[in-house]
Amino acid sequence: MSIQIDHAAKEFGALRVFQDIELEIGEREIVSVVGPSGCGKTTLLRCIDGLVPLTEGEIRVDGKKVVGPPQGVAVVFQHFGLFPWKTVYENVAYGLRLAKAPKQRIADAVPRYIEMVGLDGFEKAYPYQLSGGMQQRTGLARALAIDPHVLLMDEPFAAIDAQTREILQFELLRIWESRPMAMVFVTHSIEEAVLMGDRVVVLRGRPSSIHEVIETGLPRPRTRDVFSSPRFSEVREQVWGLLMHEAEQAERELQEVR
Amino acid sequence: MSAVPQEIALPRTFALSPRLERMLIRVATGVVLLVLWELLVRWLAPAFVARPVTVARALPHVLANHVPPGTPTFWGSAEATVIAAFEGLAIGVIAGVLVGLTMGRLRIADRLLRFYVNAFFAMPIIAMVPVMTLWFGFSSSVRLAIVSLGAFLPICLNVYDGTRSLPTNFVEVAQSYRARWWNVWFGIALPASLPYVLAGFRLAVGRVLVGATVAEYIVSLKGLGYYIVYDGRTFHQPDMMVAVLFLALLGVAINAAADLATRRLLPWYRRSG
Amino acid sequence: MTALGGVARGPAISIAGLVAGALVWQLIGAHTQASSFATFTATCSALWAMTKSGELPRALESSLELFAIGLAFAIVIGFFGGLLLARIRVLRIGLEPYILMLYATPMFALIPLLLSLFGFELRAKVIVVALFGVWPILINTTEGARSVNADLLEVAESYRSNERQLWRHVIIPYTLPYAMTGVRQGIARSLVGMLASEYLLAATGLGNLILTYTNRFDTAHVLAAVLVITLLATILMGIGRGIENYFARWKAGV
Repeated sequence: MSIQIDHAAKEFGALRVFQDIELEIGEREIVSVVGPSGCGKTTLLRCIDGLVPLTEGEIRVDGKKVVGPPQGVAVVFQHFGLFPWKTVYENVAYGLRLAKAPKQRIADAVPRYIEMVGLDGFEKAYPYQLSGGMQQRTGLARALAIDPHVLLMDEPFAAIDAQTREILQFELLRIWESRPMAMVFVTHSIEEAVLMGDRVVVLRGRPSSIHEVIETGLPRPRTRDVFSSPRFSEVREQVWGLLMHEAEQAERELQEVR
Repeated sequence: MSAVPQEIALPRTFALSPRLERMLIRVATGVVLLVLWELLVRWLAPAFVARPVTVARALPHVLANHVPPGTPTFWGSAEATVIAAFEGLAIGVIAGVLVGLTMGRLRIADRLLRFYVNAFFAMPIIAMVPVMTLWFGFSSSVRLAIVSLGAFLPICLNVYDGTRSLPTNFVEVAQSYRARWWNVWFGIALPASLPYVLAGFRLAVGRVLVGATVAEYIVSLKGLGYYIVYDGRTFHQPDMMVAVLFLALLGVAINAAADLATRRLLPWYRRSG
Repeated sequence: MTALGGVARGPAISIAGLVAGALVWQLIGAHTQASSFATFTATCSALWAMTKSGELPRALESSLELFAIGLAFAIVIGFFGGLLLARIRVLRIGLEPYILMLYATPMFALIPLLLSLFGFELRAKVIVVALFGVWPILINTTEGARSVNADLLEVAESYRSNERQLWRHVIIPYTLPYAMTGVRQGIARSLVGMLASEYLLAATGLGNLILTYTNRFDTAHVLAAVLVITLLATILMGIGRGIENYFARWKAGV
């Protein structure tokens, strides 16, 4: 197993964000994590990468306990996180340079990944010259360039317009098909969670915990046909129902307070 | 992880409120600096060079104006410089706002004056001091002219910038209510450019103080510039340092007052820092 | 009005303004004594005479040398000092009020003290020029280095950056535009320092030209020198703005 999350809980001061998280993620699967705003799914992702320490429990990547960003794990951020003073080429090369990869390897890998995400021709462009979609492609290429076996996606397409988002979703799936790895895909979009994932983890409650893990059971490779498959609708409705209940519950609590 | 993980924080054995902690660190640093100053001058510099102990000893008689007759007094000099500074700031701000507004709203004024304003802004105004002694004689008019010019230029440029970047929405709204030109100028453009005035004000203060002191030196005018050079040349450095400290505090005080005024008068303006 | 007329109108007014300025200058000069205000033409011929005799080039060289060395020190100390202050919290908090105080103080007031410590000559003047220019560079650099976007720091951390790499790939490139804004302000201040040191310490260069010819009541030469200084200053400020814009060009999206 690639990632093991063992009785994980996180508190920020007096606020307990999530607790009792038990999850295992395999070496070649995509697990979507979905839940209402503030349920700590983004925090959980950061805990997996060791950017934020857990209050309780332990996370292991490749059998080793996570205390800081582990080797072989790459993150794709919602805010893209590109360095504005670096060109696309330099941004993609960043992880390799930090790892002190030999020049030859960088010169081979970077153009390949730039092409893989469909940005060939833009090597010398700066982030401010790129659209949101293109910036995220760069972020993805940068993450892939270090050959990770775990990819953590933090609502990567949330800041991108709807049409580009759909294009990027299928691009990501295509890329994953060509080099499968463990992927945790955090999103607030139920459709996206079902589209991307082999399993969908539904976080719920205050503090949040795993309410249910649903096998999507959809065939790979995924194409746009999947949207019209009955299984897709079924899973989507199921997840929606779980989350809707939570939202209604929250609304009811608010009304009682009033 | 803190937002700036690269900072070193010294270990503390007890926690203090952040404000108190900051104050303590600053006071401690000040003490360290004073001690360093004292020791370095004592060991390495000629005897007449000022150091904290000698400056402290000089304070009483300087502040009481006890000086040999014929030598400049501290308070007389300070008063002269402070008055000149405020005169210059007043003239500079008023003229700067008016000209800046005009340049910002009237294309012709902009085109005609822009070159001159930019050139004078770039030029170190103290280049003009000697030639002004030929125009105005060795009088306080030289200082007044220099400080006014020094304050005028940054304010004018900033107000010009602010007026030029006035969002057209504002003007459109005014025009839809049939505003006359003076409504637009003074009701909209002026308040909108006030933040820019404040930004230029800091610069203006610096230029005013430099201009005043240099003018006082060259023209031998009663003022802190003359006082400092005189005491420096007659080996009364401790007395001189009192004036230097006063000037430092003056600069800080005027800027602090301007900041306070900003927050009071312009609560809607958020400095992006 | 033709389209060409419309396009040419703007610059034409500017040029008209310049010509008018020269005319006004000429008129005032013609109606006052040469010892008060020389005419525009007299100033120009004085300028030409000083250039031909080599007096002006020598003065320029001397002043520029002083300016360049002093500014170089101000940039190095300001930039690396700023990074150091951003790095070491205690140092920054402790020194902050004193630095801001020095920033607001006319450095002219410190010249007699520096004279007693370092003498009259180039060494002392370089220190003066550096002292005039260092504060905005220091303050702006510190502010820049401290304000690095937390998101970007997180990215660096996720790629397992060590501290040296953090400075090289993230903090320093981020800080450069801020530093350059400080350098632009530093250029203006160091120019004042250059003249002030030439007035108060050993008179050399352009400051000396101004002082000498003022003593001779020769306004033509004085105004010529002022003209040269203005031109020099305008060029230097233009360079300063250019550098600032160059380093900030990727900021369009930030």
